[in-house]
Amino acid sequence: MFYRLSGVYHTRYSATRQLWPIPADRWQIGAVAVLALAAPLYMSDLYLSSYLLPWLIFSAATLALTLLMGLAGQLHFGFGAVMAIGAYTSIHLARAGVPFELALLAAGLMAALIGCLFGAAALRVKGLYLVMATLAMQFLVDWVIVNVNAISGGAVATLQTPQVSYLFVPVASLTARYYLALLWAAIVTLLVLNIKRTSFGRALVAVRDKDFAAAVIGVNIFKYKLLAFFTSSFLGGVTGSILAFCFYQAVTPSQFNFDVTIQLVAMALVGGLGSVIGGFLGAGFVLLAPIVLLNLIARMTDAGWLNVSTTLMAHIPLMLYGAMIIGFLLFEPLGLAKIYDNARKYFLVWPFRHTQS
Amino acid sequence: MLACEKVSRWFGGVRALSDVSLDIQQGEIFGLVGPNGSGKTTLVNSITGFYPPQQGTIRFEGHTLNRVRPHRIASLGIARTFQNVALFKGMSVLDNILLGRHTFMHPSALASLFYWWWAEREEVAHRDKVEEIIDLLQLESVRDEPVEVIPLGMQKRVELARALAAEPRMLILDEPMAGMNQEEKEYMVRFVLDAKEALDLTVLLIEHHMDVISAICDRAVVLNNGEVIAQGPVLEAVRHPAVIAAYIGE
Ligand SMILES: Nc1ncnc2c1ncn2[C@@H]1O[C@H](COP(=O)(O)OP(=O)(O)OP(=O)(O)O)[C@@H](O)[C@H]1O
Ligand SMILES: [Mg+2]
Repeated sequence: MFYRLSGVYHTRYSATRQLWPIPADRWQIGAVAVLALAAPLYMSDLYLSSYLLPWLIFSAATLALTLLMGLAGQLHFGFGAVMAIGAYTSIHLARAGVPFELALLAAGLMAALIGCLFGAAALRVKGLYLVMATLAMQFLVDWVIVNVNAISGGAVATLQTPQVSYLFVPVASLTARYYLALLWAAIVTLLVLNIKRTSFGRALVAVRDKDFAAAVIGVNIFKYKLLAFFTSSFLGGVTGSILAFCFYQAVTPSQFNFDVTIQLVAMALVGGLGSVIGGFLGAGFVLLAPIVLLNLIARMTDAGWLNVSTTLMAHIPLMLYGAMIIGFLLFEPLGLAKIYDNARKYFLVWPFRHTQS
Repeated sequence: MLACEKVSRWFGGVRALSDVSLDIQQGEIFGLVGPNGSGKTTLVNSITGFYPPQQGTIRFEGHTLNRVRPHRIASLGIARTFQNVALFKGMSVLDNILLGRHTFMHPSALASLFYWWWAEREEVAHRDKVEEIIDLLQLESVRDEPVEVIPLGMQKRVELARALAAEPRMLILDEPMAGMNQEEKEYMVRFVLDAKEALDLTVLLIEHHMDVISAICDRAVVLNNGEVIAQGPVLEAVRHPAVIAAYIGE
């Protein structure tokens, strides 16, 4: 129908390497871009601020994480801490009067530096040991933030974000915050897409798949593992600060605790490791599924069909993530992205049954 | 060009290489033969930095390779293929060969972010080089296939292409014709000879097929239990009584 490979001829190498070689894909992307840009016009403030905004920001965070876990194959169970470092760095700098653009950059750099420090463990250890090293990062950073009053302002304190402006636009109104988040999500998306089609991404995947074969063609394994940690943590740090400034408009330790880390891992896994579309799908699914489920259960208890205590209610989302991670690992390790891809390929060859790639 | 002097390597109590010395001249095809487990792959792993020798020295064009890490050795101009094909699954043939260009490229996240102004030109320039090699090894028909779906003989050819993409001066082939039928073998020999001519290579060839070794090698070394039991011009080396004894098992 509209998805067709036949009839698309490329005469230059750059054309064969474009992001969306199929015209129908380009149309889709264009439509999504228009919808996203026009969202403040047709969407109610409630939906914009409590669904679309966090979805964009968490998608960016998932993409940052999937760059590390999916492309580079380095497990990271401390990504909440990475985002926390970014958020706290930028809020303190912004409060001290540093321009917001610079504060964002510093947030990224600080997260990248500390992320690399713990990532250095990845040079020596793999798999479960790396999970332990990054878990240690999560708890260490959490502990430092909570216990050093200069950072958190006290264990249960909440720091309000100061009034800042980005590229001369004040980041205060919902619309401004939405567009900043959209801009950042777009940048991260393009970055990850481009990394995947250039030498940097190939080197990361090579180190992930067969490190000895990567070394034999000249890839410095240590360097690329560290670069993966650096890039991913940089993006995570900036995303943490965007989350603080655009969504919460405040910073408090619990925004970045272990639960958030698990949520991010779930988003990356459910979406499909290493996939960009999967980052968006996974983030959307993990954010929305508990809401839908909780509403459902609340209705059922109201109707008297079920009797669920409020404490159990609070644990349902966590149980759900666990079940989802296990379920996807067992039945569709490539995640929602694979399901999307299957559907797309079905249309690509319709009415025939098979594709070659 | 490449010289090993009294190279020894142990694995636990097993002495996989003992006092192996050889000297490969610029421009020759040098054969390395020996029964299974005689230490051929171990020698290659020592040269390419995976298992540095515990005794002896390995020199390549004036560099001592003993303490050099594998990726540095690659950029000195030594490329190799593996006995068990070591391609990157899930990537296309093209991407695998492009990875061979790694040492000439400047990968960075920033260059990727500004793809259209920065990385694209480099990608296209190296694509041109890769297409030359695809042409040389006749891989056009599988260019965009994922490597795991193509036949083994083809995969070995892709691995050769990836090694050639690095523009090495020395090429080490670890049993490039293992598991191939006669026709595929002949193709492979042709490609190795073509590549050697076109790219001015020195080749170290490990093979069990003696017909291939005798046909295309200039000189050869025969290993048995990690020791050199014969070396010299290829026909002399492979017909040495000690070699025949080693193969037949005395
Ligand atoms: N990583 C290792 N750890 C322990 N022992 C090893 C290792 N690599 C090789 N060996 C031992 O070294 C000896 C030589 O093995 P090698 O693989 O070099 O033989 P080969 O000549 O390549 O044989 P083949 O023709 O079967 O490929 C064998 O006894 C093998 O068991
Ligand atoms: Mg071997």
